[in-house]
Amino acid sequence: MFNLLQNEWMKIFKRPGTFVMMGILLVTIVLMGGIIKYENQDVKANPDWQQEIQTIVAEQKQSLAQMENAAQGQRKYLEKSIAINEYRLDHNLAPNGEYAIWSFVQDASSLIQLAGLFTIIVAAGIVASEFNWGTIKLLLIRPTSRAKILLAKYTTVISFSLLMLTLLFVFSSLVGWIAFGMPDKATPYLNYFDGKVTEESMIFHLIKFYGLNSISMIMLSTMAFMISAVFRNSSLAIGLSIFLMFTGAQFTNLIAMKFEWAKYILFANTDLMQYFEGMPLVEGMTLSFSVLMLVAYFVLFHSLAFFVFKKRDVAA
Amino acid sequence: MTGIVQLQNVTKTIKGKTIIDSLSFEVKKGEVFGFLGPNGAGKTTTIRMMVGLIGMTSGDIKIGGHSIQSNFEQAVRQVGAIVENPEMYKFLTGYENLIHFARLSNQVNKEKIDEVVKLVNLSDRIHDKVKNYSLGMRQRLGVAQALLHEPEVLILDEPTNGLDPAGIREMRDHLKKLTREKGLAVIVSSHLLSEMEMMCDRIAILQKGKLVDVQTIQDFKTGVDQEIEFDVVPIEKALAIFQTMSILARRGETGITCSIKKVEIPSVVKRLTSENVEIFGIKEVTKSLEERFLEITEEREVSLHV
Ligand SMILES: Nc1ncnc2c1ncn2[C@@H]1O[C@H](COP(=O)(O)OP(=O)(O)O)[C@@H](O)[C@H]1O
Ligand SMILES: [Mg+2]
Repeated sequence: MFNLLQNEWMKIFKRPGTFVMMGILLVTIVLMGGIIKYENQDVKANPDWQQEIQTIVAEQKQSLAQMENAAQGQRKYLEKSIAINEYRLDHNLAPNGEYAIWSFVQDASSLIQLAGLFTIIVAAGIVASEFNWGTIKLLLIRPTSRAKILLAKYTTVISFSLLMLTLLFVFSSLVGWIAFGMPDKATPYLNYFDGKVTEESMIFHLIKFYGLNSISMIMLSTMAFMISAVFRNSSLAIGLSIFLMFTGAQFTNLIAMKFEWAKYILFANTDLMQYFEGMPLVEGMTLSFSVLMLVAYFVLFHSLAFFVFKKRDVAA
Repeated sequence: MTGIVQLQNVTKTIKGKTIIDSLSFEVKKGEVFGFLGPNGAGKTTTIRMMVGLIGMTSGDIKIGGHSIQSNFEQAVRQVGAIVENPEMYKFLTGYENLIHFARLSNQVNKEKIDEVVKLVNLSDRIHDKVKNYSLGMRQRLGVAQALLHEPEVLILDEPTNGLDPAGIREMRDHLKKLTREKGLAVIVSSHLLSEMEMMCDRIAILQKGKLVDVQTIQDFKTGVDQEIEFDVVPIEKALAIFQTMSILARRGETGITCSIKKVEIPSVVKRLTSENVEIFGIKEVTKSLEERFLEITEEREVSLHV
């Protein structure tokens, strides 16, 4: 098995495309750091922030009272904002206190999407390319079962996604540290869930954020991998997966407004953050429900991929 | 001794169309076995089944006694193959390609890789990227990857495709050497008979998915009446005489050509001279294998349609 993994890594890292992807990720982080640094130059911490927040809270309370009939989502958003702001006042925590390393890592974590995109590209190509290149014929006539080869390829996809995430985390920490430095005193992250505000250490929050966000990335990559193995077509796998990555959540939200069965859609369950911060998409969804759904989709994708890949005639 | 490769009533049906129809033959160790047939006859399909790339509808293929269907890993361990074009990872060097395939079979070490590289004469270019290789070099790299794990059977699908005469000759010498020195069974497919003639010990002829015949090259060459050409004057008169002797004859390039056995020549000569036909020469026209091949496949065609 180790040999097979070595092979897959060799095939990924001997292609210039891989370095282009890593380069794009790193350059984007640096650019982001540069822009934030530039924009932050003349933003000084407001000494009167308490007053400012009090006004905001008052306004928000007022609009909350006026919009009894408004959508649940809007109300919840306001409630969350009010709760956090009140917590800040009570505990004397300035909102944009000091922009330092962790604030930047937090901002740069939106690039997880980019890391996800690259992982999908790798996942979509890892089986289909062998068919395109015609090398599948030489790959499958070895004393190694097809299942083992497919497993090695999937393991490689997962480790590639971990590599991209690690790269993002480490490099954005580095850029954040160089550009903004360490904070004088650790500012906690304020977490709102179920009507209560709690303090979390920033690093803990970031790791949780990365972990939970990578679930969606892993599910989409698994889907791309499945499409790649079943249809042997990397463009289809990339196209469909990326399309769903950008639109899946919105579609699911739309459906969820009307139909309860939306909770069975993959994208209703990929964002586990909803159980730790904010609120579930459909009333009555629980963390264990979502985990169960994710496992079900995961098993489905792999059953399809392995079944078809094992059975199919290879006439490339 | 039973063959190292055995095909037993192998049939392949794709979408209701029978592409391979109860194919049975054996290949022995130490021989170069030609697998011959026009384009679309089903050579590649048969080879794909031999190496387990596609399944078969019925029948079985055994390699060293192991079924490729029920005991894939044991069976395929003994096979090295190129199916259609030798497609390698173009972005890797030749050497990296070999390392890649070596890792997929157990017990292939660096010395073995160097050995096959030397064997196929790629030593000075092995660290170049494959995308810069000529077709001949790719073929040789293909043979190298097929030999890495010291297989008992080497299967090459149209290995001379795109090679120049020197390349073909080189390939031929190679294969002969491998069978002689290592006792390999080599299966080579081709649609060109002239290549097979020099390369193979035995050939199987495949047409429209059916086995037409399996013969040694010698039998194959001598299996028919000889073509004899008579250089005679006057031609018309001679033709009439042939007709009365009920020998099928026709105008050839320089005289009259007919199909008779060697022993019949003296009686024909006697008859012609007694009728005052002048004979300037008699020569044997050896049929090329190509013609012989066409003859066999055409006979087959006719009998198929009757
Ligand atoms: N996957 C497939 N689906 C349908 N027909 C096929 C398939 N593969 C091969 N064939 C048909 O089977 C026949 C034999 O093809 P092939 O084995 O490639 O011939 P050869 O290698 O002797 O030139 C051809 O008529 C081809 O059209
Ligand atoms: Mg062919």
